[in-house]
Amino acid sequence: MRANCVKTDRMHSLPAQVAEIWRLRALLLMMTSREVLARVKGTALGLIWLYAQPLLMVAAYYLVFAVVFKARLGDDAPTHSLGVYLVVGMVPWIAFSDAVSRAMASLVEAGNLLQKNALAPALFPARMVAASAVTYLPLIAGLALIAAAVNGFSLVLLWLPLLFAVQLLLAFLLGYALAILAAAMRDMLQLAVFLLSLGVFASPILFTVSMIPGEFRWLIWLNPMSPAILAYQTVLLTGQMPALETWAALGAWLAGLALFLNRLIGRSGEHLVDWL
Amino acid sequence: MSGSPIIRAVGLGKAYGIHGSSWRRLQSLFVGGSERAEHWALRDVNFELGTGQCLGVVGHNGAGKSTLLKLIAGTRRPSTGRRARRGRLTAILELGAGFHPEFTGRQNLYFGGALIGIAEAQMHRIEEETIAFAELEDAIDRPVKTYSSGMTVRLAFALVTAVEPELLVIDEALAVGDQHFQRKCLERIDAFRKKGCTILFCSHSLYHVRQLCDVALWVDKGRMRGCGPTENVLAAYETHVRNLNAADHVEGVADPYVVSGEVPRRAASSARLLAVDVAGLGEGDPPVLRTEDFVVRVTAEVPGGECPSLAVMLERADKVCITAVGTHADGVVPLRLGEDKWQATVPFPRLPLYSGEYTVSDFLLDASGTLVYEQWIDCQRFMIVYPTLEVGLVRLPHKWS
Repeated sequence: MRANCVKTDRMHSLPAQVAEIWRLRALLLMMTSREVLARVKGTALGLIWLYAQPLLMVAAYYLVFAVVFKARLGDDAPTHSLGVYLVVGMVPWIAFSDAVSRAMASLVEAGNLLQKNALAPALFPARMVAASAVTYLPLIAGLALIAAAVNGFSLVLLWLPLLFAVQLLLAFLLGYALAILAAAMRDMLQLAVFLLSLGVFASPILFTVSMIPGEFRWLIWLNPMSPAILAYQTVLLTGQMPALETWAALGAWLAGLALFLNRLIGRSGEHLVDWL
Repeated sequence: MSGSPIIRAVGLGKAYGIHGSSWRRLQSLFVGGSERAEHWALRDVNFELGTGQCLGVVGHNGAGKSTLLKLIAGTRRPSTGRRARRGRLTAILELGAGFHPEFTGRQNLYFGGALIGIAEAQMHRIEEETIAFAELEDAIDRPVKTYSSGMTVRLAFALVTAVEPELLVIDEALAVGDQHFQRKCLERIDAFRKKGCTILFCSHSLYHVRQLCDVALWVDKGRMRGCGPTENVLAAYETHVRNLNAADHVEGVADPYVVSGEVPRRAASSARLLAVDVAGLGEGDPPVLRTEDFVVRVTAEVPGGECPSLAVMLERADKVCITAVGTHADGVVPLRLGEDKWQATVPFPRLPLYSGEYTVSDFLLDASGTLVYEQWIDCQRFMIVYPTLEVGLVRLPHKWS
């Protein structure tokens, strides 16, 4: 039998922990399905809430900006309707924000469990990101279907799975890093919640990059999701392949976050569970 | 001991940072370097256990026993040293952690099983047996939030012990559920032991350590003070405790028989002590023992025709134990008075004690003497008046020549 227990006392690196998650993938699957079910347990509508929540949110934004304000975008935008532009940017952003905010709270929440069971801490942020994917993968797929229906099917849409995978990876790396910081200092959670709520403005969702005054444009790139959102817009709205610079920016964020997280894992070392 | 050890601890140590401020922790994450204000909960512990050995960990509260168990169980990582183990490990540290109240007992069984390494297919095979052991056949498809605490703990115990481990780590979890279930738990642990399972167990009850363990480890202020055959280590530990008690009164030090943390349960159906009589007591408060012989008679009620063990402890009023005897230890079966009533009478001929005040405590145990059903501590006080020039604890037979 394969035990879940951490076999060695040296697990203080990101690659080792990723290998551990892979070894325990059956457990991760079970934890994920349990997490998804627990979220809607006891509600009358059940799983519908998973999808209703983000859809209602996007609908509210659409109503305000596209129907009430009747805002239109300029000629350089991928589409003239702000409503459509907004939905395409908003869905991936909510997906990311949901995954990160749940992942960053996951370690503190699982404190009691981790102190009683010898489990790899990385399982907990990974489970939150996976549970979030259960909600948002169908929504992104829905966007792709609508795009195919409106513009006709194009092979470019096949970039979407890769884009979504990169987004999940980003959310895991950032969420896990924040979770370790939150273990050391609970205030980090409050701070991160605030920054995530600002994120919708520090990204090309409600406006195009060209609408931002030049001297503030760099702010956009502080949000790791900005290049991903641009890529979604390119694929879904213009039917073109995402620009190489977008991939480069995503790669840079991935590498940077992975190194940062690896360092946090190394430095928190054997104390991580003690802090929970 | 055969083959390579099941568990080996080499230079095992654990330091907890004394984090007055979380800024220090954050600093340690960003700048590196360990926090300087460290508290070593455990330092340089070395031991190894082979197949079938049972190790009892003893020590005062805060001596590092729990930390040691957590390091062995792998829920905490050591700061120094390492532990090597082989085979399946089961830790009974806190039962029921990880159960979700909204899910049914069965769902929690599968999920809890996955957490401790029981795959779904395997759980499928042992599911029925596990539920039967927990005696939850009727409630298993109800949400756990509707369970009583006893039911939850029963399910949890049945789950963690569903698969026989090579190494079992127990943190004073001998009191699980009601008396009936406690017996089942002990029997299951005993069955594991007989099949060669290695056990590491921490307790304040030296009586249990003596009864179950062949080796003992004494930790004091995070350091190993002794490790070896149970009786040798416990003798040293008890001497240490006695010296401390002499210096000043120390809380949390166990009497040989008293099971800490256990609340006597007096449900109508459960086993209980009925009466304790000391023969030959006269007037006064406390009464004076009039007879030369000291005779204690204990009566108890045990439902279900189960044969119990009865024990008597005699102490000086200042808590110095003179003797503690039990029917199980002497291989005697109590006298059966009726369907559920049992009685044992124990005379101590020509009680060789000096003048002073003494107390009697009584215990009702299961036949093996492991499980304490009920205890009456200091239920009878009495005086002995013995005019003599001798001094001491007991009068030993002696002859001058």
